[in-house]
Amino acid sequence: MAGVSYIAIVDDEEPVRKALGRLLRASGMEVECYASGREFLDGSARRRPDCVVLDLHMPGMSGLEVLCALRPARPSVPAIVITAHDAPEIRRQCLAAGAADYLPKPLDERVLLNAISASLRAAKTPENRT
Amino acid sequence: MDSVSSARDGNPVLSRQWWRPGLDASSVRWVLFVAVGYYLAARLGFAFTLRPSPLSTLWPPNALLLAALLLTPSRLWAWLLLAALPAHLLAELQSGVPVAMVLGWYASNCSEALIGAALVRAFVPGPLRLDTLASTATFLLCGVLAAPLLSSFLDAALVSLVGWGDAGYWELLRTRVLSNALAEIIVAPLVLTWGSFHFARLRAAPPARHAEAAALFAGLLAASLVLDLPQIGLHATPALFYAPLPFLLWAAVRFGPTGTATAIAVMALATIWGAVSGLGPFTGHAPAQMARDMQLFLIAVAAPLLLLAAALEERKRVARDAREQRLQLTHLSRVAMLGELSGGIVHELNQPLTAILSNAQAARHFIANNSADPQLLGEILQDIILADQRAGDVIRRLRTLFKRGETNFETLDANTLVRDVLRIVNGDLVLRAIHAEIDLDEPLPPLEGDRVELQQLMLNLVVNACEAMGGVEERLRRLAIRTRAGTDGGVVISVTDNGAGFAPEQYERLFEPFYTTKRQGLGLGLSICRTIVRAHRGRLWGTAAPGKGAAFHVHLPAMRPGRRP
Repeated sequence: MAGVSYIAIVDDEEPVRKALGRLLRASGMEVECYASGREFLDGSARRRPDCVVLDLHMPGMSGLEVLCALRPARPSVPAIVITAHDAPEIRRQCLAAGAADYLPKPLDERVLLNAISASLRAAKTPENRT
Repeated sequence: MDSVSSARDGNPVLSRQWWRPGLDASSVRWVLFVAVGYYLAARLGFAFTLRPSPLSTLWPPNALLLAALLLTPSRLWAWLLLAALPAHLLAELQSGVPVAMVLGWYASNCSEALIGAALVRAFVPGPLRLDTLASTATFLLCGVLAAPLLSSFLDAALVSLVGWGDAGYWELLRTRVLSNALAEIIVAPLVLTWGSFHFARLRAAPPARHAEAAALFAGLLAASLVLDLPQIGLHATPALFYAPLPFLLWAAVRFGPTGTATAIAVMALATIWGAVSGLGPFTGHAPAQMARDMQLFLIAVAAPLLLLAAALEERKRVARDAREQRLQLTHLSRVAMLGELSGGIVHELNQPLTAILSNAQAARHFIANNSADPQLLGEILQDIILADQRAGDVIRRLRTLFKRGETNFETLDANTLVRDVLRIVNGDLVLRAIHAEIDLDEPLPPLEGDRVELQQLMLNLVVNACEAMGGVEERLRRLAIRTRAGTDGGVVISVTDNGAGFAPEQYERLFEPFYTTKRQGLGLGLSICRTIVRAHRGRLWGTAAPGKGAAFHVHLPAMRPGRRP
C-alpha cells in the first residue's frame, strides 16, 4: 500500500456509490465499489482494502452486520460508516461495533477525506497492528 | 372605510367594521339609500290601495325601515329614522293628508320599526339573515307579529285623535295590524336576504343554475297570474289557490332564504296587483274584507315557507360543516402520518443530495487537476441531473400529500398507486430493514378515485404493516403488496405483513375511531381508511391470525358506466 490508498465503497445506492467513487479517485485514491455487504466481504477477502466507506442501511446485510463480520480479522479494516438517516443511537451502536468514524450523508469531501486519512493514520500505529 | 372592499361585500354596513363608531362615507351612503327606498316604498304602498276605499293592502315603508335597522349597527339607527322623515313627508304630503296625521304616522311607523328591530336584535345579535330556524322564528314573532301589533295601538290612537277618516279605533287597529304584518313578512325578508347577499355568488353560478332560476320564476309568475285571468276570477276553484305552491317549495328547497323571500314577493305582488285591478279570486267582496282575506292568505303561505327555507339552509350548513370536518381530519391524519415517515423521507432526500454533492466535488477536482475528460464530465453532469430529478420527485409527491385540497375524482391505475406509495415509503422500508414483495396484476381495470386519498389509504396500511413487524427479527420482515383484478370489474389491493397480527375479538374494533393497539398513535388511521374506502364505494377488511401477521384488503369497484377513461 505504498503511496496510493486502496479504498472500498459499499453502498446499495448506485448513484451514491458512483459519485463517491469518482470523488475519491479524483482525490488520488484507488477505489473499488460494492453494491452489498456480502459482495464486499467476498471481494475484501481477495484484496484487503486500506479503508472501507460503508453504508449503514442496506437490504440483506446491513452495515452493522458487515462491521461485525470484519472484526475477527486482525488487523481489522478501518470502516467509516455513512448513513442517510442520522440518529444518536445508531452512531453509538456503530462506534461500539468498531467503526473508525460515523458520517451522516450528504458528505462534504473535506469531512470524508479527513476521516479516511485519520483512519489510515490510526491503522498504521503499532497498537492497531496487534 | 375602504370603498373597494365595501363594493365587494355588497353591503357597506355589513362589512368588517360592524361595531366601529362614527358616521363615515359608506354609512352616509347607506342612510341616504334607505331614505330613497323608504320614499319609493311609500309610493308603492299608495299604488296598492283598493279603490274606492283609502286602504292599502300592503304598506311597505315600515317593513323596509325595520329590515334596514336590522342590517345596520344600532349606533346608526337614529340616523336612519331621521333620514326617513323627509322621505315620509315628501311621499305623504302629496296625498293631501293633514300635516298632523302625516307626522303621527311617521311616529307610529318609526315605533313599529324600532320595536321590531330592538326585539329581534335582543334575541339575534348581529345582522339577521333568516338562515336558521331560530332567527326566522324570532323574526316572525317579533317583526311580523309583535311590532305591527304594538305600534298599531299608537297608530290607531293618533288617527282617532287627529280625526282622520271615519273608522272606529278597533277597526283601524285591525286593519293596520294586518296590512303591516303582511308588509313585514313580504318586504322585510326580501331586504334582509338581498341586503346580505354576496353578488359574487350570482356571477359564479353555472348557466344551468341561472336557467333553473329563470324557469322557477317564469312558472311562479304564470301560476300566480292564472288566478287573475278574468274568466277564472270570481269562479276560481279553491284548488287554483295552490297553483303557486309547487314553485314556492321549489324556491325553498333549491334557492335558500333569498330565493324563497323573492318568490313569496313575486307571488304576493301578482296577487295584490290582480286584486287592485279588480281581478282574481279575492274580488267581489267589500274592499275591507277583500284586503283581509288576501292578507291572511299571503301571511299563511309566507310564514311556513320562510321557516322551511331556513330549516333547509341550516341542514345544508350542518352537512357542509360535517364534510369540511371530515376533510380536515383526513388531512390532519395524513400530515401526522407523514410526520411518522419523516425519517424515511429524510433518507430518500439525502441519497440524491449525497450523489449531487460528491459528483460536483469530484468534477471540481478533475478540472483543478487538469484531468477533466469531457466525456467523464458529461457523465457526471448527467448523474447530477438525475439525482436532482429524483429529489424533486420526492418533494413533489410530498407536497401533494401535505396539501389540503378538495376531493378530486379522476381515472387511476391501482398499480401506479402502489408504485407511487412504495416510492414514498421506500426510505422507511430501508430504515426498518423490511423486504417488500410486490406482486402486481397487469393490466388492471381503471379505477375512479381521489389520488391523494387513495395514496393516504395505502400509506396507512403500509405504515401499519411496517409497525406491526417491529418485534420481528430483521431478516424475517416481509411486506407483501398484491393487486388483483376483481371478478366484478373492480380491483382488490392487499397489504400483508408477518408481524404480530391481531386476535379475532380485536377485528371489528380496529376500524373504530380512537381504538389502537400501538403504544403511540391516536387510533384514527383505520377509521379514516374506512371512510375513504366508503367514499369510493369500496370495502376494506382485514384477515389475520395471531402471531402469523395480518392482511388488509381493499376492494375498489369498477368505474361507473359512461365514465370510461
